[in-house]
Parts: sequence; C-alpha cells; structure tokens
Amino acid sequence: MLSARRLVLVLAAIGLSACQPSGGCTGAYCGTLVLAAVGEPDILLPPSTQQVASRDIEEQLFLKLADIGLSTNTVGDEDFQPLLAERWEWDGPLTLVFHIDPRARWQDGQPVTASDVAFTFDAYTDSAVASPFRANLRRIASVKARDPQTAVFRFRERYPEMFYDAVYHMRILPAHLLRGVPRDSWKTAPFGRQPVGSGPYRFVAWKAGQTIELVADSTFFLGRPGIRRVIWRFTPDLQVATTQIVADQADGREALYSPENIARVRAAPQVTLYPYRGNAYGYLGFNLAANGDTTQPHPIFGERDVRRALTMAIDRARLVKSVFGDFAKVPPGPMSQLWWIWDPEARQIPYDTVLAKRLLSARGWRDSDGDGIRDRAGQPLAFHILVPSTSQTRKQYAQLLQEQFRAVGAQVEIDEVQAGVQSERAAAGRFDAILQAWNNDPSPGSGVAQVWTRAGFGGSNFLRYDNPAFDALVDRAGTAATPKQARPLWRAALETINADAPAIFLFAPDNVAVFHSRIGDVKIRPDSWAALLRTWRIPSDRLIDRDRVER
Amino acid sequence: MWLVRRVAASVAIVFLVVTLTFILMDLAPGKPLLGPPEVVNDPVRDSVLTEQFGLNGPLHIRYFRYLGQLSRGNLGESFGLRRPVADALAEAIPNTLLLAGAALLIDFLMGLGLGVYQAWRVHRLPDVVLSNVTLFLYSVPTFWLGLILLLLFGEWLGWFPIAGMSDPILCPSVSSFYCVMDRLWHLALPAATLGFVGAAGTARFQRAAMLEVSAQDYIRTARAKGASERRVVLRHQLRNALLSFITLFGLAFPFLLTGSVLIETTFAWPGMGRLATDAILRRDFPVVNAAVLLASTLVVTGSLLADVLLAAVDPRLRVRGTA
Repeated sequence: MLSARRLVLVLAAIGLSACQPSGGCTGAYCGTLVLAAVGEPDILLPPSTQQVASRDIEEQLFLKLADIGLSTNTVGDEDFQPLLAERWEWDGPLTLVFHIDPRARWQDGQPVTASDVAFTFDAYTDSAVASPFRANLRRIASVKARDPQTAVFRFRERYPEMFYDAVYHMRILPAHLLRGVPRDSWKTAPFGRQPVGSGPYRFVAWKAGQTIELVADSTFFLGRPGIRRVIWRFTPDLQVATTQIVADQADGREALYSPENIARVRAAPQVTLYPYRGNAYGYLGFNLAANGDTTQPHPIFGERDVRRALTMAIDRARLVKSVFGDFAKVPPGPMSQLWWIWDPEARQIPYDTVLAKRLLSARGWRDSDGDGIRDRAGQPLAFHILVPSTSQTRKQYAQLLQEQFRAVGAQVEIDEVQAGVQSERAAAGRFDAILQAWNNDPSPGSGVAQVWTRAGFGGSNFLRYDNPAFDALVDRAGTAATPKQARPLWRAALETINADAPAIFLFAPDNVAVFHSRIGDVKIRPDSWAALLRTWRIPSDRLIDRDRVER
Repeated sequence: MWLVRRVAASVAIVFLVVTLTFILMDLAPGKPLLGPPEVVNDPVRDSVLTEQFGLNGPLHIRYFRYLGQLSRGNLGESFGLRRPVADALAEAIPNTLLLAGAALLIDFLMGLGLGVYQAWRVHRLPDVVLSNVTLFLYSVPTFWLGLILLLLFGEWLGWFPIAGMSDPILCPSVSSFYCVMDRLWHLALPAATLGFVGAAGTARFQRAAMLEVSAQDYIRTARAKGASERRVVLRHQLRNALLSFITLFGLAFPFLLTGSVLIETTFAWPGMGRLATDAILRRDFPVVNAAVLLASTLVVTGSLLADVLLAAVDPRLRVRGTA
C-alpha cells in the first residue's frame, strides 16, 4: 500500500505530466480566452431566458439588428451601431424600416432574411413562449418582411425609445430551424443546448456544470473575431473563480464584487483590472402595507415621517465605504450608475441622527421604559429585515443597518432566508423591510415604472409605494422627446420619491472586471460586458501556451 | 422468502420517502425561482411558466401526475436547467461515480490497511501516532480540509488544478492517455479530501473491530497452535473483523451516486451533490424528487446488499433469518 506521502508524490507526478502543452497556432487570430464564470446558463435560446450568464454567451451567437453604443444612450437612434441591419430609416413617425446586411449568414449557411426578423418578433411576443422581454415590445404593433432584405416595424405610439425597443430586446432567430418547434416547448427546446446563430462565434460544446465552448467564425461578415476560442468555465463559487484567475488557470471574469476579491487579483502580476459602471442598485425597502395584509398600512412604515426619520438615521456614505470600499456610490435615488438619469444633484434626505431622533419623538416614538428602544402605545419601534442568505453584501449591510438603527432607538431583527423564500414573502407582502437589489437594462423608463409606480403592483413594486404625482412624473419623463427635456422631469421624480422615503437607497456598485494582461483592445460596454468581445485581441507576441493549442 | 420480504420492505421505504419528499417540498417555504431574483419579474410570464412546467394545481393532483410520469420512467423537466431531469442526471451520475468511487477506494484501502496495521502494533508508537492523526482527520470538516488542500496544493504550490474535472482546452473529453492523466490530476484533490477523512473513520472502526476479535478464543487457539503472527492477523483476526466492514461498505454505497455536496461545490465538480443542492435552492422540484428517489433507492439497496453479503459470509445470520 502507498503511504500518504508517496501518494501525494505520485499524484504530483501525474499532475506535472498533465501540464505538458501541445500545439502551435501562431499569428493574429490565435488565442483562447478562459472565463471563470459563476453562473451557468439555463438555456441558449434568447427569448426564453433572462439570465445574465445566458446573455453573455448569446451575445456571441445571435446578433441584434443594431445595438446600443458605449454611451448606453437609449434615446433616439444616433448612438446605435449597425449589426444585422446594415442601415435603417424612418418612414413616417411610426414606421421604422431595417435593411438586412446581404452578407449576413446563419452558421448553417442560410442567409439571414427579413422573414427571420418577423418570425423573431412573433416568437418574442407569443405568450406561449413566455419571453421575459414580451412586455418591452408591447408598443410595437407589428413587424413584417417587405422583401427578403427589408423588415418593417410599426409602432403603436411615438416615444423617445422607439428605436431602443425595436433593437435592444430581440436577438434575431433562425426561422428555418425553429419554425417547427411548438412554442410551448421553447422553454426546454433542444435547440437551446445546441444553438445555431449568426454571430461572430459558433457553438462547439456544452458540458453541463463544466464548460461552454465557442469558436470564432472566421467568415463572420462584420470581421473575423480576434480571439479564436472562448471557453466559459463554470464554478459554483465566486471565491473559487477568483482563485482560478489568481492561479492563472483562467483568464478573467466580468465582476469581482468585493474589495477582498479585488485586492486578491490585484496581487496577481498577470492580470489587469477594468472598472466600469455597474447596472445594479440596492436599497432597504419599507413595506408600506402591514406585514401580510396589503389592505392595511404598516404600523411603523405607514407614516412618511417615520420613514424619513429612519432614512436620516443611516450614514449611507459610510456603509458604502465599509462594504464596497471605493467601488460603489450612494445612489441619488432608485437607479444604477448605468442610467443616464444618474443625478447627484437631486435632493436627498441627509444623514442627521439628531433630526431623526427629534422626528421620531415628534411622531410619538419615545423610549418610555428606558430599555433603549423607542415605543408608542405599547408597541416597540422594532421590525425585521428580510435578507437573501446568498448575498454576502446584503447580509453585511443588514448588520451595519442594525447597528445604525439601534443608535436612534429602533430594534432590528435580521431574517436571512433563501432567495426562493425571499421572493415568495416579497410577493405576498409578508415582511417589514427588505434588502433588495435589482439589475437594470439601460432604459430607466421601464425599470423605474415596474418597481416604483402603481404599474408594478402585483409584480415588483412589493413595497406598494403609491404616489400619483411620482407616477405622472415618471410617465412624462419617459415620453419626453429629448434627454434635455426629460432630465428635469426625472430630477423632480427622484426628489419626490426621495422625500417620500419608501426605501433607503444604499448602493450602486461599480463593476470591476479582471482579464489577463496579454489580452488587448479590451472594451467593456457597461450594460453587457461581453457585447464587444469579438473586437478583443491577443497580439501574436503575447500568446501563451494555452493560446497556441490546436485540437 | 427472507429476501423477498426484504425487497418488498425496501420498495415500500423508497415509495414512502419519495412521497414524503414531495409533500415536504411543497410545504417548505419558498417558491420555485423561474427567473433570476434580481431581475424585475413579469407575473404574467411566471404564471405561464408555472402552468407549462406543471407547478400549478392542488398537491394531490400534482402528486398523482408525478406518480403517473414516474411509472412511465419519466422524471419530468427541470425548470432551472431547462431540460429533462433524466438528461441532467445522466450527465451528473458518471462524474459523481468517478469522484465517489475514487474516494471510497482511498477510504477503504487506506482505512482498512491503517486499521489492521494499528491493531497489529497496538499501543506502540505507530499506533499512538496514527490514532491521533486519524482522530484529527476524522474531526476535521471535509470542506475545511478541501479548502486547505486547495489553498496549499492549488493556489500556493500550483501542483493541482483549482477546480473542475478536466483541462477545458487540452482535454474537453477523455480521448487519449494524456487526458486520462489529466482527469486523474483533476480528481486528485477532491478524491483525496473525501478519501482521507473517510479513511480516518474507517481506520478507527477497523482497529476497534480487530481488537475486539483479538480477544476471542479462536485467536488464542491459533496462536497456541503456533501460527505465525502474520497468519493470525490476516487469516483469523482480519477475516472475522471484516463482518463489520461489510456493514460499513453497505452504508457507504449510496454515497457513490449521491456525492458530496460540499466537496463538489468547493472543487466545482459537476456531480449529483451539486445538482441536488442547486435544485433545492431554486425549489426545482423535479430534480429534487429525482435526486431523493435515487438516493433512497441506493440507501435501501446498499443496506440490502450488506445484509445479503453478511448472510453469505456469516452462516449464523442465515440460520437466524430462516428461523
């Protein structure tokens, strides 16, 4: 029998022998990018999923007609870049005409046509497909193929983000491959595990729980991708993914999330960090209705002044610094840094514990029994915060908030629950306060409306915040013709919601991506980091062993 | 007749476990996560998907629908993985078999060897040292040991890969001897983690069993007859002490397919343990039910196998069984 020491030596010898590289690709189009991914896609069929992991890979496989620019401006069409459509024009106020690039091909050799565009719209808006993007397309009345190269979009109304809605949500699908698949089976369609697209990369293999591999389409009509092969390597844990990068067993990932991870990879000599605007924001939301009974006001948070006082009790800047270091900002309202309506000048409730205590006392919340907790009519100023157990950031925030609330005489209990439990309790209104975060697409209009206006009742406005003045401002801002006209309306809306304090807006993180320094031309679009991956390169003089491997 | 009764009882146990799991999963707080929790959800879409995946309707209707599916060999569709559950299991099971099989091999070979050696050298220095080492290893949480090995041999020394089960560039599939070696290289740390902790327990168990047997009359007789110490230990002592080892093996058998949740997560090993954990967190009922069905079937099969083996090697049990 082998001793433990000998066993280790044998295994190490096996390891060393397994390290032998082989192959010899040289030149401009070699290169393998190994991404340390934490989430694995559920399916690679664009209308059937909204997972970020799926989106990153679909970016490489399926093209849109056009895509948003680096500015992420969603208004008008000036900042959009052509993809499958070589050009477009407006035919009247409600009709948009796209001309498909005649060079565009599906990866099975078939040409991409306007019929594919019409088919795609039909699929995205079919309730049987249950696409998460269906609601985003509600203002498009129809999409028709005028001829094989011309697709015509007709809108129901005129609004500033017409072009954005037409192109951003839909990735064009191959009608000839999907027409025969029953729509109610798209959720699990085999096509989604072996997709055929029109993008810069072709699908090679998906090994569940391990990897998804794509290879560059050297005939891609918009130019050959600079990196030959891209492999998403899945790990269930961010720490393990970070360790893979530090140990040079992976080339990078799109976000590191914590200052500790950032510090770890900073120490690795072979990588470069790329900070960019984040698309998420988080807040402590107050349930305005009673816990478990949406017909009654919450005994504490039903009062605007109490919410304002609790908001004043929180030093948001210090919390951001404690949790994120320099890699997040305090949001000036319900928004991520991605949105162009980001407005640090918008009026917010200041951090002022003296004023907070005074306001609570004025509303009758006093510490009558000297136990350090305020009370009113026998009811203590005490509530529970619902936190998902999977989010380290929010768990950390909950503890810090607990401390700061205690300083003004409010007692907080933290309920750590699984994400499924959090969703269920949020939807049923069974909570006092909730630490919630949202990921946004680049358009502020729909994001704000779905979470903070009456339109979100029964959906994501589970705080049941309801202020008709705010709703009207959001509606007007969303339909303003230009950003210049919209900006003051957005500011007024933000100041209205900030004054009402249905939530304490806590953090809007920056994302910090990390990639191996041999990779050049790294451009990251903030709303979708992998959108420009096809333009990244590894210069021939920087190739390493894994780049040269031929199979 | 004894065997028939045992098989019937095993089937009943599996049925009961599956039924209880179905009910408990339904009663447990939390709803199926049909989309990412941090993306604004559309309630209309949720209701369509709920219906399409058969997650709506009263519990008893869903239960009988599930039993109907099961009777046709259909384990259902996973809404988290967006694929048939059977396909997901078919990919995860071989990975778990490989890891758990290697771990059990280390566990039993090393554990048995150490236990016998310790009993042979009882109360001498090697036994004292090994007793303390095995006690330490046995007390260590498996995931902690995994993290330490990962840190030491993966990150600091760079001798072994950090995670995964193959080199995604050179060996996406086992197509050459080189890739067999690559697979073993990736297997080394997770299998060693599980194997060492298991071996520590097995060694202590086996040492105790050997010492218990050493006081028996037949051992004294063997020695009195002039048998060599080697023959006494291997032929008489070990053989009789193996009875309890068989029970241990029977209990370890289910682990072959259910895997180790924490180690599969730590080393990103795509096996059954990881599949089941993800499914529980997502409330992906079809996957959870299938995993429980598999696990309970293996537990009763392992136990049945151990009983049959014990009866085969120990005639006294057969006599008692037929009485």
